[in-house]
Amino acid sequence: MRLNRKKRLGMMISVTPLVDVMLILLIFFMVTSTYLNLDMIPLIGGARQTDVTSEGPDGPPGEAPESANLMVRLGADGRPYVSGRAVDFAALTGIVSIRVATQPATQVLILPSGAATTQALVSLMDALSDAGAQNVRVVRLEVQ
Amino acid sequence: MHLRRQAARRPHETIITLIDIVFFLLVFFMLMGRFDTTSPFELRPPISLKGDTLPAGGVTVSLAVDGRLALDGVERPRDEIVRRLTEQSAGGGERLFVRINADASAPVRHVLPLITALEGLAEGDVVLVVTPEAE
Repeated sequence: MRLNRKKRLGMMISVTPLVDVMLILLIFFMVTSTYLNLDMIPLIGGARQTDVTSEGPDGPPGEAPESANLMVRLGADGRPYVSGRAVDFAALTGIVSIRVATQPATQVLILPSGAATTQALVSLMDALSDAGAQNVRVVRLEVQ
Repeated sequence: MHLRRQAARRPHETIITLIDIVFFLLVFFMLMGRFDTTSPFELRPPISLKGDTLPAGGVTVSLAVDGRLALDGVERPRDEIVRRLTEQSAGGGERLFVRINADASAPVRHVLPLITALEGLAEGDVVLVVTPEAE
């Protein structure tokens, strides 16, 4: 008598736990990750572009001469002021680029109002960078 | 003649395709996602088109609109943050990299004193976190 034996099936690996683990990981990454594309503006250290000081607009001795300084005040409304006159960012870029072209050593001093927002300060620094200002310094007047 | 019909088999639901999709999504989120800097408060960084690429690592100091500060996700007063970072930078080892993650609407009067205080770090870089695009 010939017995017909069933063919032995290979070992079955259950994939259900694998799916569970992957789903947990997926949810973890979805919840904990953000999708903001982040950049940076160097402030202090090796790759410094912008300097922040509390020494006042004149700065310490040995700095660039006073005539090479251009003071830009940032108002509480977020608008830049040059020589006491409110200007928009495009006009400021024009003023600074002319100044930098004639006096490349120009140091631009930003004197921000304490009520101005960080966004306004960053936008001002962007405008100065567009104008080609290499030496930008943020000054902060401390109440004595 | 009595014919016996075989009971109709329920079609197999293959979960292989599901695994493929889940795996694809998993890899997508792992590659595209950036771990949140675990800020204890809602933050929206300022927008700047002139920023440099932000390297990974370092410590994050978060600054809320109302001036509250946090160091790596834990809310702390400014003096304590500066003291901890100063100790860390003076301790040697790797050069300290400090990211200031300030809200775009945070007044400058909260941001500048923090940056000025961090100027005292022995060895370290301080950067302001910005984003090149609106959320």
